[in-house]
Amino acid sequence: MDPQLTSLVVSQAETSHIEDTLERLVAETGANYSMLLDKSGQVIAASGDTDRQDITALGALLAGTFASSREVARLLKEKDFRVLFQQGVRENIFTELISEQWMLVVMFDKRTHIGLVKVLSKRATDELASILERVKLESRAKDQIISTNFRTSVEDTIDLLFKD
Amino acid sequence: MALINVAAREIHCKIVYYGPGLCGKTTNLKYIHSAVPGHARGDLLSIATETERTLFFDFLPLDLGQVHGFQTRFHLYTVPGQVLYERTRVAVLNGADGVVFVADSQQTKLREDIISLQELARNIQAEGKKFLEFPLVLQYNKRDVPNALPIEQLDHYLNSSIKVPRFEAVASKGVGVFDTLKAISKLVISKL
Ligand SMILES: Nc1nc2c(ncn2[C@@H]2O[C@H](COP(=O)(O)OP(=O)(O)OP(=O)(O)O)[C@@H](O)[C@H]2O)c(=O)[nH]1
Ligand SMILES: [Mg+2]
Repeated sequence: MDPQLTSLVVSQAETSHIEDTLERLVAETGANYSMLLDKSGQVIAASGDTDRQDITALGALLAGTFASSREVARLLKEKDFRVLFQQGVRENIFTELISEQWMLVVMFDKRTHIGLVKVLSKRATDELASILERVKLESRAKDQIISTNFRTSVEDTIDLLFKD
Repeated sequence: MALINVAAREIHCKIVYYGPGLCGKTTNLKYIHSAVPGHARGDLLSIATETERTLFFDFLPLDLGQVHGFQTRFHLYTVPGQVLYERTRVAVLNGADGVVFVADSQQTKLREDIISLQELARNIQAEGKKFLEFPLVLQYNKRDVPNALPIEQLDHYLNSSIKVPRFEAVASKGVGVFDTLKAISKLVISKL
């Protein structure tokens, strides 16, 4: 990843590719929910039950958990933990790293077998990796979106909201 | 790294409050949470020890609403300042678009401030970013304490080589909190 790249721009077309991949994963595994996170904890796309609350906080926490496990790996001189599995009473969470930069999260209950989640997540992460590779390349052409007008308006909004 | 989602018309940026233990990072977020208009703030999530020290992070999503058709969001985080949690700070800092370094103005804390700022520089560089170009503002917090160092001294020890915008604050009373937040969020937007 180019560390000097300051923003990732996900186009409409790529978003629908990503959503298709997540939808297919949810359908084929019978999982409840799936989402794609970036390493800073932002939710890029999600698919599954529509009534889930607190997706933003969930993204922040899961990305934090993954980042902290990466530090554990470093201490153990392990290359990486590619996969994290959290087992609950009702629901389980399976998280897999994509190209050191993104995470695929699958949430499922006892009707779904973990083996199936593993196999199909592997396929999904391969697909997502190539979509995200394209997204990265296209992110250089973002000038139409972040215009001077946009920056000025954001600054005005900041002045309006961030005050005592 | 900021995320610009064209389909959902959303822009997300991540801002991290960094600094030594007990300097007032969590206090900044609590104040922002209490004072920002209800429609703009999400829930404040704190993962802390029983004694209210940050264990992992605090997290506060802020929503600026529609700007030129884009829903613009800032995600604020604090790191745990205690020395013990060095690797946890690396994890929380991951992918940040901007940092507020909160320094404790107390004379007895200067050493910790300096060490923490040096650590921040290392951690930013470890992500492959140039520290001197990275969006950063300083906050000299706890200006109300009797043993607060004069601003010139803090400038000398903390800001003479990096020369970034810096703000005086009494976070526990909300003084300077929004000035700091405004400065870092504008800086982040200017680098998008
Ligand atoms: N006098 C004074 N006290 C402050 C100020 N800001 C914060 N405090 C107090 O300092 C203590 C620590 O504040 P926190 O915000 O929890 O510190 P922190 O930086 O989050 O600490 P860690 O989570 O351990 O890294 C609390 O008792 C606050 O009330 C200030 O401006 N002046
Ligand atoms: Mg704290």
